[in-house]
Amino acid sequence: MAVERTIRHIKALATGAKYMLGGHRLTLMYPDDIQEFPDGYRGMIEYDWDTCIKCGLCAMVCPADAMKMYVSKEESEEGKRPVRRPGINYTRCIFCGFCVDICPTNSLKFTKVHDVAFYTFEEQIYPPERFREGIPKPQYDKEPRRVRAVLDEKRGIRYEPVE
Amino acid sequence: MSLEERELEVLIGPQHPASGHMRLVAKIDGDIVVELRPNIGYVHRSVEKLAEVKKYLQIIPLVERPSLADTTANNLAYVMAVEKLLGIEPPPRAQYLRTLLAEINRIHSHFYGMGIHGVMIGSSTAYMWCFGDREPLIELAQELTGARLTYSYIVPGGVRRDLPQGFEDKVEKVMRYLENRMPDYFDLYFNNPVTRARLEGVGVLTKEDAIKLGVTGPNLRASGVPYDVRKAEPYAAYPELDFDVITEEAGDAFARVMVRVREIQESIKIIRQVLKKIPDGPILNEKYMKMIPPNLRKQVEETGHIKFPGVFANLRVPAGEAVARVEGGRGEVVFHIVSDGKMSPYRMRMVTPSFRNVILFEHLTKGARVADIPAIYGSLDYFPPEADR
Repeated sequence: MAVERTIRHIKALATGAKYMLGGHRLTLMYPDDIQEFPDGYRGMIEYDWDTCIKCGLCAMVCPADAMKMYVSKEESEEGKRPVRRPGINYTRCIFCGFCVDICPTNSLKFTKVHDVAFYTFEEQIYPPERFREGIPKPQYDKEPRRVRAVLDEKRGIRYEPVE
Repeated sequence: MSLEERELEVLIGPQHPASGHMRLVAKIDGDIVVELRPNIGYVHRSVEKLAEVKKYLQIIPLVERPSLADTTANNLAYVMAVEKLLGIEPPPRAQYLRTLLAEINRIHSHFYGMGIHGVMIGSSTAYMWCFGDREPLIELAQELTGARLTYSYIVPGGVRRDLPQGFEDKVEKVMRYLENRMPDYFDLYFNNPVTRARLEGVGVLTKEDAIKLGVTGPNLRASGVPYDVRKAEPYAAYPELDFDVITEEAGDAFARVMVRVREIQESIKIIRQVLKKIPDGPILNEKYMKMIPPNLRKQVEETGHIKFPGVFANLRVPAGEAVARVEGGRGEVVFHIVSDGKMSPYRMRMVTPSFRNVILFEHLTKGARVADIPAIYGSLDYFPPEADR
């Protein structure tokens, strides 16, 4: 029993040493490295002003009340009746993507950006006029390296630079 | 405190003692636990009551939130109950995709539980390894569903996305990686004499007690009760798959860990079968597929990403009651929905495995040493938000 225990202690230490020297690292070195997400990633949402038919399904299906129909001022004054368009509130959005999936004209689209970091609370609310301008471009102190996750038999996951 | 009073009350928590906010009120005599009462409810989020004011589709993300690591089980059980009320069946391909995601989720949920257990008993290496090896699986699920943990992948009538291109190869790579790595886990952690000394013979749950207390999931199977909802009441694609119910006889903390390890190996087996047997065909029920406008239906066929029919926004479910249960990573998840034909359920009951296992804190710690409290806590894979809902 004592011999077996000793062997197991040694095995545990040897395994530890193997990994210490083997350089088996799974960590993504954020923010020096930034991961490019696969296609279909549910990130922040883009809005196409022209194709939207203002049906309001996105606001109806939203589980977190993030997507809401706002009265669009200019259009309402032109047409002399209230015209409503969707706007999004990123303080509430949970990125389920139901709004994108229910949109009958593909006016809402996923982007691969998920950096929901803002300075103020108000900045996170996107009424239709701001929503159409697209998502904010993340700003970095130093331009980060773009990496892609590659699944690997030996290492599990590797992060390879993207050109 | 006078000299005659031997017992001392120790409060562990509620500021995140391990895997969430809860308080353990321990009465100790020297180093021996006389009584330990779990004080739950710190992270109650009123899921059941909120469900009464939300529409049926909006409840999907809601029921996922309580269980951080085990979201698919809740998603699947809820949708199965809704489908029973609607009287629709998902197509076979969707059934297989549901099974695939459920098994990927089971593996990373087990890694999560084992990792937390590892750091509780002082092995931060096990914690780092388990959390690191969760990552390839999360990456797989992300590619399939578009999100890391809260997938919202299963919707009434099917699933939201088809397999991406080249997904089978990636899954195979990850499965081989896990198989290659398992021996190292045994050398470094499971067979490590320190781990064995901390876990073997600690918190023994006998077969009779396990049944009497209504314990569920791996904790039940570690006491030698071969009960698994996947076998007892098969759902999704499980009736067509070949797998075993994992049991251990000892019923101690180590047996509970071993059940999880062996279930990971069993899940690998299931995932391989799913990818081999998966039939071609649609991934959403015909009834809903017909409601999608023709130009979008073409797009759905090309991209493999479902567009919801407009009816999903205000899904009406016929009046009635339905119960559905699913074997999640932590145990049996039960949903009971009472519908009165309106847009929201009249009542939704959600029974989570952690809620059923919390009684073990009181039962297993009696007479144990104080240092065994974390060893027992971790071995239960208990997750406070899931129990509090």
